[in-house]
Amino acid sequence: MRHAVRAALIAGAVSLPAVAAAQVLEIGYDQSPAGLDPHIATAFATFAVINGTIYEGLTAIDKDLRVTPGLAQSWTVSADGKTYAFKLRPGVTFHDGSPMQAEDVAATIRRVLSKDIASPLASRLAAVDKAEASAPDTVTLTLKEPSAPLLASLATIAVVPRGMEANKDALQKRPVGTGPFKFAEWRPNGHILLSKHAGYWQQGLPKLEGVKFNLVPESATRQVGLTTGTYAMLPNIDAATAQQLKTNPQVRIAETLELAYTMIGMNTSKPPFDKAEVREALNLALNRQEIIAAALFGAGVPGGPLSPALKDWATDVAQFSCYKSDPAKAKQMLEAAGHKEPVAIAMSVLPRQDIKDIAQVVQQQLNKAGFKVELKNLELGQFIQDWRNSNFDIFASTNAGSVDPDDYFFRTFRTGGSTNVFKYSNPEVDRLLDSARAMQDQAQRKAAYDDVQKRLACQGPIAHIAYGQLFTATRPNVQGFSIIANRSLSTLRETTIGK
Amino acid sequence: MIPRLLAARLIDLAVILFGVSVVVFLLIRLVPGDAVAIMLGANAEVTPERIAELRGRLGLDLPIHTQYLRWAGAALTGDFGVSIWTGRPVIEEILASIGPTIELTLLALIFGAVPAVPLGALMAQWRGGAADAALRVVSIAGLTIPSFWLGIVMILALATLAPSAPMLGYVPFAQDPLGHVLRLILPAFALGLPVLANLSRLVRTAMLEALSQDYVRTARAKGVGERRVVYRHALRNALIPFVTSLGVMTGYLLGGAIVVEQVFAIPGLGRLVLGAIAERNYPLIQATILVVTCGFVIVNFVVDLLYLAIDPRLRGAR
Repeated sequence: MRHAVRAALIAGAVSLPAVAAAQVLEIGYDQSPAGLDPHIATAFATFAVINGTIYEGLTAIDKDLRVTPGLAQSWTVSADGKTYAFKLRPGVTFHDGSPMQAEDVAATIRRVLSKDIASPLASRLAAVDKAEASAPDTVTLTLKEPSAPLLASLATIAVVPRGMEANKDALQKRPVGTGPFKFAEWRPNGHILLSKHAGYWQQGLPKLEGVKFNLVPESATRQVGLTTGTYAMLPNIDAATAQQLKTNPQVRIAETLELAYTMIGMNTSKPPFDKAEVREALNLALNRQEIIAAALFGAGVPGGPLSPALKDWATDVAQFSCYKSDPAKAKQMLEAAGHKEPVAIAMSVLPRQDIKDIAQVVQQQLNKAGFKVELKNLELGQFIQDWRNSNFDIFASTNAGSVDPDDYFFRTFRTGGSTNVFKYSNPEVDRLLDSARAMQDQAQRKAAYDDVQKRLACQGPIAHIAYGQLFTATRPNVQGFSIIANRSLSTLRETTIGK
Repeated sequence: MIPRLLAARLIDLAVILFGVSVVVFLLIRLVPGDAVAIMLGANAEVTPERIAELRGRLGLDLPIHTQYLRWAGAALTGDFGVSIWTGRPVIEEILASIGPTIELTLLALIFGAVPAVPLGALMAQWRGGAADAALRVVSIAGLTIPSFWLGIVMILALATLAPSAPMLGYVPFAQDPLGHVLRLILPAFALGLPVLANLSRLVRTAMLEALSQDYVRTARAKGVGERRVVYRHALRNALIPFVTSLGVMTGYLLGGAIVVEQVFAIPGLGRLVLGAIAERNYPLIQATILVVTCGFVIVNFVVDLLYLAIDPRLRGAR
């Protein structure tokens, strides 16, 4: 007991220098981040805590998912598309008080590319040959080949102070960025507290004194916490939770169509899904509207390879012939492909409630169309291992999606792509992806990606099911927050707590 | 007497810790999906070379017996390694989380054990009556209701009945002593109820057995008052199985704390180890299990000492 009291005293003493309570936004947050280094910890759990709050990139993504200036106020691109010069915003300081200069940005790029850091983001900068500070306020990136998605990718590369190129530990525990909030305290399994960065470059922001991410794993506890006022915000919640909270007069719900999608992945390296017709049959067997109604509480839209949220890029699903559910035709296609008996397959299921629900509906639908599906509910570690080793017939899962088509398509569908666990290989798709990433002209790029979407929609290795609605629930007095489809909480800088 | 008992227990402890460490070490590595795969996540864009490199840095590429010997050697010198994910020494992480769990377990034990004795004694005294039957039904309910369900129901009930009560989440003692204790009441109750049910039934049975013994009949024949017969003669004998169960129950409470901490968002050992298992944080899992094992063995040692206090016959024996 004395131990307990002493531990409690120490813990209390640590959290005493907290910020004034009135304008600290209390957030009920479900997952404990695995670390706060923006180049190492890249899961959603970390992303929402640090993106646009602690850290910013050279570019930024706005509410409409378009690339806007971030820490770079402008940029120029050479005619051959291989040299980018970024002019930095003046008056930006890091949380440690040092000014942000071109050398810091160049060091950041080198850090992401360094073998020591082994950043999962390195592939996003694969085209970068070198990064230099060509003037105190200008960074020049030289590319090996033109890369159209570079500007969108840079929004996800957080700028950190120089001197971190070989340091894997410091930022994990004590992040330092340029964002509106600076790191104040992390109590493992307790909370993460951010406080106002007084030297933030944007005048008058942030409006809050601080943001506190309370780590609360149990969904019922978070919900009660919001309705009773313990928490003022539950960010990025699912449809089921939003439905339950909607009726409460003390709760406001913001929603947007999400970039992330639910999907069925197929292993094209072995029968039966090595045949394009069998993949098309699976698409025909699915009834996406029914899945959305049954498993997502109606909160979502059927989607193709790109989210309808990407208005500049996505092809309307009405143009995909296989999106009109037709179990009888699916059965015929299977028979034509030589499958007289029901095709026995196993479906691995990501351990997340909405995915489990979807998997059950999909199982029913496929069984009606000439498949015989066995569900495999796996523990997360096992699921990831099977996924990485391509040890599956099909799997039900979800994926984050990206702002630029290339980021998702190239690594997923290009032969040998880093997340092409389906072992999909289509020379025509490869050619289109290779050429589109080098194009500068938007219309030309769009034409290429239209073609890619058409090829992937029905016969690709992924049957895209739905893009769900993403919800954030707040108390009525929380103002100025806007929800963003990529789950970033960057608009917390404009958020205030009213009466 | 006590030094001999202590020595025997210390030897037990060493053997148990060795056994537990081997089993934990093996089991967690037999679970499919290793730390590196989980760390990099399902959608990380990572090459096999980087996976191999990370595995090498964590020492996960060595044969398993080499890994164990390395770890055990360091552990014997007090070095339990660092958390794979945060890079902090695991001992630091455990110390930061152990306080709430000890408090919660103690509170739950008090909730569960203290009322169990009078309740059990009363049930025995009233045996066969309506009150006994009612209490037995309640205690069976208490035994079968899972703590996490009870916890969630209590949270929901509280939100409806007293929405402004500050009973959610966790605040450190120094920051708000009253709020700190208030917030532990519900979880301790959820955790302690099955213990209360279990122990009161145990006391009842033991009391009934004791009350049918010859010495009780003799006491009654001598004209000793009924109250004195029950509480002085019978209860004291009935307490031996009760105290034994206390030790076992502590183990149950430590396990139950994992679930209850999860429901009530208490940053204790249970959440630490649950998170560690999910992310395959081997050093943290190993050290936490060893600490919990030590705690369990120590509690049972204290139980042995309590025997001596309750049963004078044991003091001369052994």
